[in-house]
Amino acid sequence: MLYKKKTHTSLKEELEWEIMAKRLKVANPARCIGCYSCMMACARTWYDTISLKNSRINIQTRGGIETPYAAIVCHACIDPPCMRACPLGALTKRKGGGVNLNKEICDGCGNCIEACIVGAIHLDAEKKAVICKHCGVCTKFCPHDVLEMIEVEDSGEIKVTDTSPVEDTSPVSSTASHKELYGRKEPEEEK
Amino acid sequence: MTTEQYAIPGLKNVLYIDLTSRSYYIKDRRDLYEKYLGGVGVATNLMLEEYIEGTGPLDPEMPIILSTGPLSGVYPTCTKTVALFRSPHNGELGESYAGGRLAMSMRYSGYETIVIKGASQYPVYVAIHDDKVIFRDASSIWHLSSAIDVGKVLRDVEPGAGRRSIIRIGPAGEKGITYASVNVDTYRHFGRLGLGTVFGAKKLKALLIVGNQEIKSPDHNAYRKTYSKLYDTIVKTGLTEKYHNLGTSENILVLNELKGLPTRNLQGTSFEGAETISGELFAEKYLIRRVSCAGCPIGCVHVAMLRRPFSKAHEYETLNISYDYELIYALGSNLGVADPEAVLELIDACEKAGVDIISMGGVLAWATEMQQRGKISTVETMGLQFSWGDKAAYLRAIDLVVQGPNDFYAALGKGVGYASKKYGGEEFAVQLGGLEIPGYHTGLGNMLGLTVGFRHSHLDNAGYAADQAAFNRPLSDEKIVEAIIEEEDRRSVLNCMVACLFARNVYTYPNIIEALKSLGIEKTEEELKELGRDIFRKKYELKKKFGFKFEELTMPKRFFETTSTTGKLEEDRVKRAIELYRKKRGV
Repeated sequence: MLYKKKTHTSLKEELEWEIMAKRLKVANPARCIGCYSCMMACARTWYDTISLKNSRINIQTRGGIETPYAAIVCHACIDPPCMRACPLGALTKRKGGGVNLNKEICDGCGNCIEACIVGAIHLDAEKKAVICKHCGVCTKFCPHDVLEMIEVEDSGEIKVTDTSPVEDTSPVSSTASHKELYGRKEPEEEK
Repeated sequence: MTTEQYAIPGLKNVLYIDLTSRSYYIKDRRDLYEKYLGGVGVATNLMLEEYIEGTGPLDPEMPIILSTGPLSGVYPTCTKTVALFRSPHNGELGESYAGGRLAMSMRYSGYETIVIKGASQYPVYVAIHDDKVIFRDASSIWHLSSAIDVGKVLRDVEPGAGRRSIIRIGPAGEKGITYASVNVDTYRHFGRLGLGTVFGAKKLKALLIVGNQEIKSPDHNAYRKTYSKLYDTIVKTGLTEKYHNLGTSENILVLNELKGLPTRNLQGTSFEGAETISGELFAEKYLIRRVSCAGCPIGCVHVAMLRRPFSKAHEYETLNISYDYELIYALGSNLGVADPEAVLELIDACEKAGVDIISMGGVLAWATEMQQRGKISTVETMGLQFSWGDKAAYLRAIDLVVQGPNDFYAALGKGVGYASKKYGGEEFAVQLGGLEIPGYHTGLGNMLGLTVGFRHSHLDNAGYAADQAAFNRPLSDEKIVEAIIEEEDRRSVLNCMVACLFARNVYTYPNIIEALKSLGIEKTEEELKELGRDIFRKKYELKKKFGFKFEELTMPKRFFETTSTTGKLEEDRVKRAIELYRKKRGV
């Protein structure tokens, strides 16, 4: 990985992180367990509802649970086709890639939906476009590190921030990471 | 129903489906939801309303009731749906729980409870797309050899891909095996007591539900706060660690060590092959993925990959099979199978057939002992020579039980209770209340719990947990009885929500009260406890109507011959404990 994960080593770093351009990334799609906590978090935060319908990200299967989950998420395009397709100028460029939506202007024509070949846009009940803001609330409700916020250039280009020495970060045993996560460190040198 | 959003408080609808006339109607049953919240509380009352005295489990008038609760699709790990029916396996109360995507789909479709009555003349499946209910001819998928494949067909033919729920039966349900299961979204099941058989009798092959509606909380900020709190408790504390990690199969080595793992038809309680069928071994060698029920951040569904050669030219087929503790006990230790790949293959065969794996394991274990004792011969088994650990014979036997080509296999298709009445061997037909036992022989608590439990399941009251407590420090039999009663009532409340019992320690009474309050439902702890007691009384009323009598319970000798975790059990001691339970409960 070329970018650093969010860390909180000092207040300064945290503040720097806060003002930096960021975007959502599906960092580890194969780790998804299909719990939909991210989708519920999105709808809960931005639509004040209990719903999967108005989530801006979409986790789904394409052939039942036997098949891997697909995470359909706004790619934070550097040059967003949805913005070009909008006849009213309701979509404008967002710092860090993707778009900002002016809901007042949107009339639900659906041109943006067609322009987004990823399938990351849909309309809500009031016929307004539902587009990811890259706020990152979904990442806080992902138990398996599928979703991450990454630091990018204002333009949306990927920023190479991680130049620290390469190290193997995989767990010492296949259960170690969980033990740590759930409050119990594995005794060292076991086995 | 036509509005996009509807506000909690309270659930509202019951969808009635009549398969005879292929029609449906919706009733506003807020009265029931207000009083009983949802889930098992509502389902029990509906069953009392619907049940016509003298109706048999497979008669068309006998309803199937599926119910979700106020927290379904709303709070994490409230992912279960309860099914209530009359069991064709033991004639008693049929009660079963399944996860998958069903609860969330039902909740978001606006049909929080579904009552299915009647029987179709030809195979049908029912598709629910939000408020629309569609009946379609399923003749072309009746006779499919695999319950898994039914999902594959329906996924293509019905719209709404991505997050819908598809529940369906396999050949066992069509053939009337009394312990046929209903497969829920491939990896979960209404496993026990034969809901699949009832589906089959109604000629209902499958039910597909797509739910896309929104729910509004009256106090969104409170909801948000409570959601985060519960989510953090589940994900960031150790309360559900077991299920995050190895899953239920962690128990194989634990129970083996404690001498509580039924082995070879409960002739023993520890298995020399436990290491090779342990949760640790499955995780290390075969686990490839974990998945969740919709709305649960735990991801306890453990999926193994089995790569199996089918020719000498390096040709392989790959099977993905979900495993759990009970399955490994039933088709592993209890059949003397120590080869993990054999266990996976046997699980796979049962999954395709659509049978309850615990019962199938119990049936095969009993048949093996019958043959070894010379009570049946290869005439009855159609040439099969059962011996502990012989995968090939067991694989063939599963097919034969499902097809029932002779009287013996037809009897096996009705369980060990039935078969042992016909062929003998009742003293080692390991059943309680007519149901093959789950994988515990831990002592008095377990045996009492399984005997008096509503549905003779370890999940009714966790009797094994009382034994665990008794193992660690001396506990009087009366205390064990009391622990079971308390746990029974607590679980009745959880089953109204309908929370997954793996998160039972997250949904404490205070947390349930807070979760309900954020939805505008005010309940006190005492009210919830009274609800639990009320459900107990109503369920026993139902059980009585279905013909349950304490006097008719039999306890096969085997239970008293084999050492349990807490030592050898005496029949008199169990009987005294049952009497004590009855006295305390007033039943």
